[in-house]
Amino acid sequence: MAKALPLTGIRVANFGWVWAGPVVGQTLGFLGAEVYKIESRARIDLTRMLPPFAGGVRDPDRSLSNHAGWAGNGSVTLNLKKSEAQELARQLVGKCDVVIENFGPGAMAAMGLDYDALRARKPDLVMLSMPAAGLYGPLKNVRTYGLSLSSLTGLDSLTGYAGGPPVPFENAFADPFNGVMGAFAVLAALSYRDRTGKGQHIDYSQQEAVMQMVGPAFMDYTINGRVAGPKGNRHPLDAAAPHGVFPCAGQDRWISIAVTTEQEWNGLRAAMGDPLWAAAADFASVAQRVQNIDALHQRLAAWTRTFDDYELAHRLQRHGVAAAPVLNVADLLRDPHYRARGTFIEVQHPLGFHETIYGAYVKTSRTEPDVQPGPAMGRDNDVVFKRLLGMAEDRYRQLIEAQVIY
Amino acid sequence: MDGALGGLRVIELGQAVSGPYCAKLFADYGADVIKVEPPKDGDVARRWGPFPHDEPHSEKSGLFFFLNTNKRGVTLDVTTGRGRDVLLQLVRQADVLIENEPPGRLQRFGLDFPVLSRANPNLVMISISPYGQTGPYSEWMGYDLNAFHLTGASSRYCGRPAEAPLELGTFAADFFGATTAAAWGLAAVYGRQNAGGGQHLDVSCAEAIAALFVGSQNIGAYAQDGKFDRRTGVGMSLGAPATILPCKDGHAWILALEAAQWNGLARVMGNPEWMQMEMFQEMLVRAQNADAMYPLIEQWTTEHSKWEIMDRCQAEGCPITAVFTVAEAAEHPHLQAREYLVELEHPALGRVRDLGAPFKLPASPGGPSRPAPLLGQHNAEVYGTLGMSADDRARLRQDRVI
Repeated sequence: MAKALPLTGIRVANFGWVWAGPVVGQTLGFLGAEVYKIESRARIDLTRMLPPFAGGVRDPDRSLSNHAGWAGNGSVTLNLKKSEAQELARQLVGKCDVVIENFGPGAMAAMGLDYDALRARKPDLVMLSMPAAGLYGPLKNVRTYGLSLSSLTGLDSLTGYAGGPPVPFENAFADPFNGVMGAFAVLAALSYRDRTGKGQHIDYSQQEAVMQMVGPAFMDYTINGRVAGPKGNRHPLDAAAPHGVFPCAGQDRWISIAVTTEQEWNGLRAAMGDPLWAAAADFASVAQRVQNIDALHQRLAAWTRTFDDYELAHRLQRHGVAAAPVLNVADLLRDPHYRARGTFIEVQHPLGFHETIYGAYVKTSRTEPDVQPGPAMGRDNDVVFKRLLGMAEDRYRQLIEAQVIY
Repeated sequence: MDGALGGLRVIELGQAVSGPYCAKLFADYGADVIKVEPPKDGDVARRWGPFPHDEPHSEKSGLFFFLNTNKRGVTLDVTTGRGRDVLLQLVRQADVLIENEPPGRLQRFGLDFPVLSRANPNLVMISISPYGQTGPYSEWMGYDLNAFHLTGASSRYCGRPAEAPLELGTFAADFFGATTAAAWGLAAVYGRQNAGGGQHLDVSCAEAIAALFVGSQNIGAYAQDGKFDRRTGVGMSLGAPATILPCKDGHAWILALEAAQWNGLARVMGNPEWMQMEMFQEMLVRAQNADAMYPLIEQWTTEHSKWEIMDRCQAEGCPITAVFTVAEAAEHPHLQAREYLVELEHPALGRVRDLGAPFKLPASPGGPSRPAPLLGQHNAEVYGTLGMSADDRARLRQDRVI
């Protein structure tokens, strides 16, 4: 082994905060980049204060979810309200290939950290700006949270029970999605830089990236003028039935079943012991099953509800039917599949406690990352200010004292 | 203008959503993507619609169009010996192979990673599947629906407590897995020199969401404290208001957590007395009293348009937004000012509006500029470069290899 990770030698200054920006840094970090998250005790990132904390001790260096979501990033503390800190940030950018930020438009400029100012320090800089709705346009200053950003894309209007009102998705699915898509954007721009010598400022609108997931419903609108509403768990294009989540034995236990072909339908019928109802003309073809999907789902739910979800999934899979248990959070940690793939790993934090975070969620045959928990605040200050920027020890102490490095 | 990924050659063996969307990201930013489809039926997305007037036609699927812009298309039966040889020839000239076949299937035709990387040691092979190439469920049948519900995302965050957990109404797991695969895959290509050559990436759509989304904010807590949460059907449990409420003309995401946001909302609502009550003064306390609060806010929202609510609340610093329908999102002046939508000409569909690039690269713009290929549209062009004569092609066509 001992192969270098793919992005070894790429250095990143990550001004991203909360979730989406840090996940861009994480993705590049897992792939070998040297990533410094720039943050400050003057305004502690709210995800550092998300409970629970390791050992129940409330402290910005002990938030368990923060350690998972920020893993792969390093940390440098700079109080960017102070002009000396802004200058140090510009100096650091001068030593970097990539800058990431997910503030609103104009916030970086207010700190003297806009693209033009930074490009003066690093002419072929790749800068990723990822505000909610992009760098220009009438909605550029729109305020959203990660969990409501998807309301601007049409996606929220599709989520809910069939025929009912939209049901809120209760966390920011958009954030990690944008984190990963943002990393792809950076890599595309780096590929261009390596070929041409030119950097660029990526205008990444979270709205536009998330709206990609609305593509299937958008096409029905643009081709047929039809405006979709919530679809429950039905096939997004009504091309399959049954296609849903059905109750199993026990509290809040469910199974997902999707049948797209005749072969799978025959497998399902066989698994059920060929009940008479399934032979009815109403269910004889995909088109018929889709048309009579409510009746079909009722019949199927009456059959599934006495089974254990895992046992039923195995049984249906033996008959060639796409079925899987619907897992809750606790199931994830004990599920044999995720255990076999090492999805979640127990790690030792430098502050002396054990915690469980997610590991390399993509399996690579040549360059497996060594995943460590997210950084304590200022973990990399020494390395960055003294070694990378060549700062003398007494000056370093002074700036800490003056709460510039803070 | 030169695309960011100009010079990269990608071979796609993709079906439905995940493989094709991953390859589309490469294609829309300038890579030369050759999509390989089975000769008779092609990609299954060709049969999924939406079709104009709901009349099925293999060249008129809106889904296939959306997922396959900027690609060249060839037909090839890789399950035959000669088809396999042709694919290996294509792979020798490629940087990336993207595939989302059921795990194990390519191996049966002698096209697994060891074979492909012998043909081209610099090849990055990206395998996307619902569950992954290894582990007890790797050979399970699965679609987007099964993968999504295996992640904990629905049980934890989507649906009402006594009712079924919900998918998002799209192929959410496929899109998430495809995007993950594109980012890691492009890094593997970019860093081939560092890594000492190509490699194989195994992306499970379920695992990506279980880790990055659900695992991120739940697993550490469960591992330490043995407790976990489930969906509420409402919104946030630790802060309120944070929910979707009905308006005169649709719905709005009502979010006012910080004090300044709550006060802003109060001003827009005309400072009703109840909003000054002790039980509504802090977001956690409001969450505990949400059952009493939401009907009071709803009374007001149902009397107003979601656009008016959004505009006035935003002006007061409140992160409140209208829930856009797909049509409202598509036609919104903001996206028009940003030229997010594009129009392309397609031989069977005519002029089609399409979603544009997911992000803007000023120096090397991306986004769809050529329509999805007809089945086998680029056979002559692509196979010509392999040194195949018209006679060779005719023979392969006769034997149904291409």
